[in-house]
Amino acid sequence: MTELRDPAHRVSPRARTLWRLQSGIGGAVVVLGLVVAAATWREYDGRWWVVLVAAVLAAAYAVVVPQWRFAVHRWEITDTAVYTQRGWWARERRIAPMSRVQTVDLAEGPLDRLFGLTTLTVTTASAAGPLRVEGLERGLALQLSQRLTRNAEDAGGDAT
Amino acid sequence: MTGEPPWVRLDPRMLLVHPLDELRKFIVPLAAAALFGASQGGGPYVAILAIVVPIAIGVVRYLTTSYRIADGRVELRRGLLNRQRLSTPVDRVRTVDLTASLIHRVIGLTTVRIGTGGAGNDDGDLTLDGLTVEQGRTLRATLLTDQRPVTEETAVQSPAAARFEPGWLRFAPFTSAGLAILGGLVGGGGQLLSELDLQVDLPAEDLAGLAAVVVAVGLLLLVLVLTLVGYLVANWGFTLRRDGDTWQVSRGLLTTRETSIDVERLAGVAVAEPPGLRLARGARLTAIVTGLGSAQSGSRVLVPPAPAAVVRVAGGAVLGSDEPLVAPLTPHGAAAVRRRWVRALGPAALVAALPALLVMVGGPGWLLVITVLVLLAGAGLAVDRVRALGHAVVAGHFVARSGSLLRHREALAVSHVIGWSFRDTWFQRRAGLTTLAATTAGGSGKVEALDVPVREAVGVAAAVTPDLVAQFTAGEPVHS
Repeated sequence: MTELRDPAHRVSPRARTLWRLQSGIGGAVVVLGLVVAAATWREYDGRWWVVLVAAVLAAAYAVVVPQWRFAVHRWEITDTAVYTQRGWWARERRIAPMSRVQTVDLAEGPLDRLFGLTTLTVTTASAAGPLRVEGLERGLALQLSQRLTRNAEDAGGDAT
Repeated sequence: MTGEPPWVRLDPRMLLVHPLDELRKFIVPLAAAALFGASQGGGPYVAILAIVVPIAIGVVRYLTTSYRIADGRVELRRGLLNRQRLSTPVDRVRTVDLTASLIHRVIGLTTVRIGTGGAGNDDGDLTLDGLTVEQGRTLRATLLTDQRPVTEETAVQSPAAARFEPGWLRFAPFTSAGLAILGGLVGGGGQLLSELDLQVDLPAEDLAGLAAVVVAVGLLLLVLVLTLVGYLVANWGFTLRRDGDTWQVSRGLLTTRETSIDVERLAGVAVAEPPGLRLARGARLTAIVTGLGSAQSGSRVLVPPAPAAVVRVAGGAVLGSDEPLVAPLTPHGAAAVRRRWVRALGPAALVAALPALLVMVGGPGWLLVITVLVLLAGAGLAVDRVRALGHAVVAGHFVARSGSLLRHREALAVSHVIGWSFRDTWFQRRAGLTTLAATTAGGSGKVEALDVPVREAVGVAAAVTPDLVAQFTAGEPVHS
């Protein structure tokens, strides 16, 4: 017994673009807020420097983090288990046996839909939170959720 | 069973309890109304209303509430205008609590709360307020044994696994409740003292000092008495015993409370040893119950603050082996130790730097004492946290211990592990560590071992659930 390997599959490369867009929008909103504040509140001379630093940080975040996230995000579904890996700075690997799967959800936000991507959420009876795979292509996600539901039914039991 | 079982009303003696209850709820508005009414000269009507309304509410509630067990479901209907019909399958029942307030006890009644552990807070709970103690116990036996046939000999009451002793009172001041009260009083007392100072500074300096001492001692005594009373009220007559297929915890001085936990749903136990209790060589035992989240914490107490030895014995009885609670744990190695030190001393150093900076820019020298004290506290915390770290797989249980201020040792039965989580930050990965968590359907949802060396963590997971983990260990990915 040595170490866990990565789950077999990456999520869609479009997820990286989606995450860039999301963090870009988030950062832009914050920077815009700061610009407005700096334009109206003229007490502090160095205020434009603050805005500049914030803009650089936001841009760096939007460039680095989605790339990092994409490198980490992976998933694998076998006949007996679901294995996911997500996060960036903090990485979380989750393994759940098929027999403990309770519900399988698909969710798409407005931006997700623009990119044709879907988040697959697999819930077990544990209060420690569900397993989640973000940025799956819609068709694949549908196919996976059907397979998961079927497998979980076959496994039987009340999943606790 | 032939035909539909009839709907049964609650015990008629509730006609007595309900009005008293309503009276208690309405006491403030009633008193206000009575005062107001008397001054207006409308006295008799208000008085009559004050008596008639609660009784009427009680009667209506009694007449409209009934329950039955039919087709493997417990059903309860209640309400006059707002008809409610609650029903839950018997095999979903996870706990049955019998609670008896003082009023209930005087007339021999008890409240039966049937817990299904539904995700919604208390929505899943069926409460039958007002059955005789006898009926309550019978109902509990029916509900909790219906799921499996029970052999006759298990129905015999076994001796208690733990029982209250007056000596346990010594742990009362060390409970979290005690410390909270103490903290509150110290905060409030400090303010009080400063005000006193202002008032008594005229007569004499030493008089003020004396007053401060008297107040401090008085406060301490007050805390002591409050915690003792609190402990007694909650835990008087505590017993933990196995009864057939359930573990039963009963306790309480005024309001008695009997909690039953289905053995099959008992996923594991946790021994909590906060520093206060540890100093007094005490501990606390709670159960990890499948389907019961940490929110329903009242149902999970197995042993209140008690001698650590008693807790271990009781925990051993519950788990079927005391190994998980006494066996030595595998330490987590040098990297984990370093991490504890960095994480304890880092924040402490930041705090300690402030007074040091102040001294450097010309502040009084005694400020350095704060720096030293903070650093010492950080070091103490680190040492204690290092000592706690450990995990093991023994006697069919995954065991993990961590924490200092909230030190706890958790043992989770292997059959109740419903998944794994390996969580590691970039720092942890660099140190070759990961936080291993076995997820389960009860308690906080997981049992966590902090900063385990990666290989060790995978080894543990593979030892507990070989089929599950082996397919994901290093080697060829299985494409599917």
